[in-house]
Amino acid sequence: MEVKKIKFDKHTVKKLLTLLMPIIAFGVLIAVFCIVVGAKGYKLDRYIEIIFNQGLVLAIVATGATFIYTLGSFDISLGASTLFSAAVGVMVYNSTHSLVVMILVIIIVAVGCSLLSSTLASVFKLPVFVTTVAMMSVLSAISATIITKNGGALGGISIPSSVVKPLDNMGFKIAMLVIFMALCVFVFEFTKVGRRQKFLGANPFCAKLTGISLNKYAIIAFVMAGLGVGLGAFLTLVYTPSVTPTTAGSLGMQILVAIVFGGMPISGGPRSKIYAAVVGGFSYILLDNILKILIQGNAGYGISQIISAVFFLALVYVASLNYRSKNLPR
Amino acid sequence: MKALLNKQKAKTLGIKAAGTLAIPAVFIVVLLIICAAGGKSIFPTESSFANFMSSAAVITITTIALSINLNSGRFDFSLGSMAVLSSVISAKITGAILHGGEGSAIVMLLLCIVFGAIIGAASGGLYVLLKIPPIITSLGVTLILEGITYTITKGSYVTDEVRNASMTAFSGNWYYSLLVIVAVLVLIIYLFDFTKFGYKYKALKEGQKVSVNTGIKEIPNAVVCYIICGALMGVVGFINASRSTLINGGSLNFGSIGIMFTAFLPMFIGGFIGRFSNDKLGYLLAGISMAFLNATFVVFANEVTSSTQSIINAVLLVVFLIYLSNEQICKDLVTGKLFKKWYLVIKTKLQDRKASKGV
Repeated sequence: MEVKKIKFDKHTVKKLLTLLMPIIAFGVLIAVFCIVVGAKGYKLDRYIEIIFNQGLVLAIVATGATFIYTLGSFDISLGASTLFSAAVGVMVYNSTHSLVVMILVIIIVAVGCSLLSSTLASVFKLPVFVTTVAMMSVLSAISATIITKNGGALGGISIPSSVVKPLDNMGFKIAMLVIFMALCVFVFEFTKVGRRQKFLGANPFCAKLTGISLNKYAIIAFVMAGLGVGLGAFLTLVYTPSVTPTTAGSLGMQILVAIVFGGMPISGGPRSKIYAAVVGGFSYILLDNILKILIQGNAGYGISQIISAVFFLALVYVASLNYRSKNLPR
Repeated sequence: MKALLNKQKAKTLGIKAAGTLAIPAVFIVVLLIICAAGGKSIFPTESSFANFMSSAAVITITTIALSINLNSGRFDFSLGSMAVLSSVISAKITGAILHGGEGSAIVMLLLCIVFGAIIGAASGGLYVLLKIPPIITSLGVTLILEGITYTITKGSYVTDEVRNASMTAFSGNWYYSLLVIVAVLVLIIYLFDFTKFGYKYKALKEGQKVSVNTGIKEIPNAVVCYIICGALMGVVGFINASRSTLINGGSLNFGSIGIMFTAFLPMFIGGFIGRFSNDKLGYLLAGISMAFLNATFVVFANEVTSSTQSIINAVLLVVFLIYLSNEQICKDLVTGKLFKKWYLVIKTKLQDRKASKGV
């Protein structure tokens, strides 16, 4: 049997670099994080737990959102959706005292919100982004009303911490992440859904001519994103059993950063990767924490955000070296 | 023949005028009726009218800034952070030089425009240098600008530098806002409709590849667009600072992008009006309509909470977009043509079924 030799020419190296850059960066960030925490004399295991808890919700919601981004659309309302689902979940628990009912309601509400966005967009032929902007406003406003009416804006609404305490451990959370990732990898890589979504993301016109329904796959994408939002909302409550109007406030934008950080193009299509959100989400949180440890004090927040942003742009720049066009990208 | 042509011209002019004024007129009349029904005046005091004018200025200018890049396919999340950073730097410098004395407002306004333009140039420069999609560049730029603002202000509000008689005089007099709106509108219409830059911008907007192949230099055009956006957002930052007499320097993690979303509805309404006249005029009329809505919200502040206001704005956005995306269907629905079409479709299907049964 003839073994095909890989030629390491300039193009191949560039391609490999593009592909591996986010993973290399993730590895480097882990190493730097361990060194920094060690040098400062902090407990590494405790810090790893903090990082995991901070990155978990982002990674899960962003992984679900990858299906939407693969189609070349993007949803800015996912943070508000997470807040709304969590708020409704708290209200339901406080009236039923059933954890199972709460989880079910959170998932149903999250998928329902997602489906509403996609239905509005597909039935009325609206631009997806603008629909999600409207959804973001509506969901944030309704959540704020629920929270202020039932618990006051500052205190928020909450469930007894004893209810979720047994679930607030690394084992349960890792299991949740692995199960959700396995589901997403299966749908994205081993079914026609993922293939067709990549096709639609790359060339919707051509995909339509071959008989692929954009509406059908958009609805599937939004359902997957809704599942991610529901799980994310539940895990948010597991970590902090109270919800305030600022809960998951910047999640919608962080998802965008996480997906790009993980090496996926914002335009979706065949170069979409299901692992991008997990790699990107944890990389972003790692970088943020490294900088916060290094630059302490109030002004440190601003400086660490500047460095994070520069690192983000540099990473995207290197990762996109292989896909340069003559004209300015749009 | 000449009379016929004149009649045709008058008819076209009439349609254009009606199309331009229909939405704002309906909007304003409905809001005035709501206020009258509630037994309230939309402008109970002179300061409420001044507030209305500055609100119209902010919405109109933000909408113009958003549309410049968005119409060219360049999504820019950094508009809010540009406004905040330019106003913070300008307030600090003005405060250091004039200590809140006479002329503080005009000096700060000029500085806001200069620093806004510089920030815009940096943002545009980064975009053309990195050649990565503008939406991603704008994410990075937003984070950088927010970080710089936070570092300068140490995360606190800027108050002392903007709380003075000069700034209060600016926000308290409606004609200053009107002057700013007119100046911005005249400049933008001139730049985009009567200069070579504007022609090239329009060509690039309609067909990037063809325009570049015909020799139009895209990079300088894009950078100038960013500079204009930055300068406009500098003006917005100034007006916001004068209205609230404080600047929030503590926004991190995309806390500054909210301002962009307020400009979506006026941008779509303005674009629609632009079909009948000029899109910039459309943005102005849409901005005025939105400012009327905000003024009504203020009048009914006890009955309509901020959450309800957000929901009303979002519903208006969706309803207007549904109309825009299904314009022909909506027109057919109003004229009854849609029912005729449905009737014909059903009739044909029934006939086909009868025919196939007969066969």
